[in-house]
Amino acid sequence: MAGESRFTSIAGTIAQAQRDAEREDERRQDEHIDFKMVTFSLGGKDYAVDIMKVKEIAKFGNFTYVPNTMHFVRGVYNLRGEIISVIDLRQMFGVPVPDEEKAQESGLIVRVDDHLLGVVVDSIDRVVGISSSEIQPPHPIFADVNIRYISGVVEHEGRLYILLDVERIFTREDGRADGSGLESHGAPGMRGGAGAAGAAGAAGASGTQAATGKQAAGDAAPSAGPAPDASGAGQSSAGAAGADRQAGAVARGASGPGRPQSAAADTDVSFIGEALAAFNAFHPSPINADWVARRFEEWKAERSRAGKEIQLRTEEDAAAFVHPFFSPYTEAFWGEDYLERVARTLPDDDALPGNLNVWNPGCGKGYETYSLAVLLRKTYPEKRIKIWASDIDLLSISTAPNLVFPAASVPEYYREYLVEGTNGFSFAEEIKELILFEYHDVLHENTVPEAGVILSRDLLSMLPQEAQHRVTADFSEKLGPGGIAIPGAQEALDALSGWRSVGGAVNAYTTVGPSSRSTT
Amino acid sequence: MKTKQDFPSINERKAEGVKENGDAYKVLIVDDSMFVTKQISQILTSEGFDVVGTASDGQQGVEKYKELYPNVDVVTMDITMPKMDGVSALEQIIEFDKNAVVVMISALGKQDLVKKSLLVGAKNYIVKPLDRKKVLERILMSLNQ
Amino acid sequence: MRVEYINPFVESAYNVLKEVLNSEVNRGDLYLKSTSMPVLGVAAVVGLAGDVEGRVLFDMTKETAINIAAAMLEGMDLEKPTELDDMGKATITELANMITGQSVTKLHNLGFQFDLTPPAIFTGENMEVSDTGVEALIVPMEIPQGKIEINVAIRERS
Repeated sequence: MAGESRFTSIAGTIAQAQRDAEREDERRQDEHIDFKMVTFSLGGKDYAVDIMKVKEIAKFGNFTYVPNTMHFVRGVYNLRGEIISVIDLRQMFGVPVPDEEKAQESGLIVRVDDHLLGVVVDSIDRVVGISSSEIQPPHPIFADVNIRYISGVVEHEGRLYILLDVERIFTREDGRADGSGLESHGAPGMRGGAGAAGAAGAAGASGTQAATGKQAAGDAAPSAGPAPDASGAGQSSAGAAGADRQAGAVARGASGPGRPQSAAADTDVSFIGEALAAFNAFHPSPINADWVARRFEEWKAERSRAGKEIQLRTEEDAAAFVHPFFSPYTEAFWGEDYLERVARTLPDDDALPGNLNVWNPGCGKGYETYSLAVLLRKTYPEKRIKIWASDIDLLSISTAPNLVFPAASVPEYYREYLVEGTNGFSFAEEIKELILFEYHDVLHENTVPEAGVILSRDLLSMLPQEAQHRVTADFSEKLGPGGIAIPGAQEALDALSGWRSVGGAVNAYTTVGPSSRSTT
Repeated sequence: MKTKQDFPSINERKAEGVKENGDAYKVLIVDDSMFVTKQISQILTSEGFDVVGTASDGQQGVEKYKELYPNVDVVTMDITMPKMDGVSALEQIIEFDKNAVVVMISALGKQDLVKKSLLVGAKNYIVKPLDRKKVLERILMSLNQ
Repeated sequence: MRVEYINPFVESAYNVLKEVLNSEVNRGDLYLKSTSMPVLGVAAVVGLAGDVEGRVLFDMTKETAINIAAAMLEGMDLEKPTELDDMGKATITELANMITGQSVTKLHNLGFQFDLTPPAIFTGENMEVSDTGVEALIVPMEIPQGKIEINVAIRERS
């Protein structure tokens, strides 16, 4: 019947459409996240940079202005001892810079050819995960001069992000990536409304092409090699690029035993790790791999219960993820329960020959140092004790030698060693004289002698993996016979070779192996 | 007829480095820094002092003093110098002439150094950076003791 | 570097520069550096002894050194220097001496026994200073004449 067949065909079409839509949804779900980008705004527009190129998200305090550079070179900045050039992308692209001088500017530290460059933007938004197949080539409307700085555009959750190719932006024609000789450009991206084909507004009208001269933009870096594999993904080999990225991500993350099989799970955990590292909250490594894996499962459950997504997009997310990691009594005097557990873990008096030297890198404000000092004084009444405590945070370590606190914050255990002052209590000279507080970078050479106790809680996980490696090697070398190392509560030194747990009441390890001087 | 002496000149002021009898005070400057020597010399000569000698280390200082004796009214003595430091030079000068007027001038202001110098016989101790007023005050004070 | 040592150097640098140059002095953020460091062109070094061993290095470009010398020599009936001659070098050396001297005095008042040795000055292109195995505290000071990097490397004498 004609009528019937018509209905059938309409029904058939609808059903077909429904099936198509379902398949599309499935496809979307299957498209796992294989590309992450840090998004930010510049002159009111949304931009993004591949997270693999971002070393850190930063707030820039004082720049040192360097004269005789192009106007978009803000100057140089001291990033924990390394001097890097800082570029203001707003100036560079001719985007209006807001009038108010902020005390701290938002920005990114990007890595280009082994150089670090600081980049100032209006504000950092968040880390967004997408499928690299979503990256579209830049719209032909962009004028030639600017199109080369754009890897592509991505639409995500209703916003259009312009993906910048940092390598192209910061590399001179001859391949040097040192921030010198940069040209001033118009802003890539469309003026006058997102998605508009408003030609005139497009970059062509903007920006002067300043002559490339020899500019001294901070430190003159030596000429780098050819630019590495372009990260500007999504143009063509999205799949391949995606796979590369995944492989890279896994390699960057914990290289511990037994990674979960599923590719999606792999990506998520290792990307969590990258986000953590980018926010400078935490660095996954074999030492904390177990904790990261357990925490991740917990986090997934937590977040889905709360209807929030798993990925870490902001600093707050990163902090929330890391929060349970920290050892007991962080930034506080050790309570009697913990003191007792540490006491039980300490070696016997006769197991530690000679004077007791203690190394306490990453001591912060000194709470744990004083706690340990009092514990050691009581545990080894006859021994000569000396504690080398250090931290790289100048503000924290500066307060340590004269730490003053209210009586209420101190357990009874410490009473006999307290003296009262005008502003509160502090420790008596006989405890203070045991401790040498130093402003010191644990990655630099130190003068600490062989130590019977190394107390370094949660420090290792705050260091990039390579640095963790160096520091634990140093621990291994410095630990004397019979000595123990106490890392953070969630840090397992025995994930590394040459260490074994002492099975104590607190997480503690000693060295083993032919190079070890352990007596057991 | 009125003479110049009858009208006191507003601009005339006694140069501090000149004695009552019109002779200039004679100064020996002992310092290893060309800059400091010049600086002290400048301050003193502008007030009428006569710089009769300079030395760039303690040993030379002692020798010069002995050479010029008794035509040195005051010695300015740096402390940190090569070969022989200022305190040792001071000791030797005092030994040679117990009435020597020596004023220490140093970047160091440690209490124990100050005490030691004064005990050994220095008349005064000036801590750098130098300012003109302080230098003149202290040197004159030492000369008038 | 021992925490207690830091302030005396920072304060002395500020005080002496302010007094001697009679101008704005701004201090940059302190930080730590390790082993060999390139030198800007002029380096004045004062040795430290006593409870510690080490040295304080004052690092600046030649242009800054000339500007500082000019400022310190002002009013001393000398020609304004255009090159860093002997007098200019003596001037920079004296600046280094005064800052270190005041630091040592302050440290003494805190109970630490420090002594300083007569300063030396080095000038040249592409110089590098290598102290093996020593961490240095860097105190960047900005003055109208330019920038001085004060580099303090101290080791406790056990």
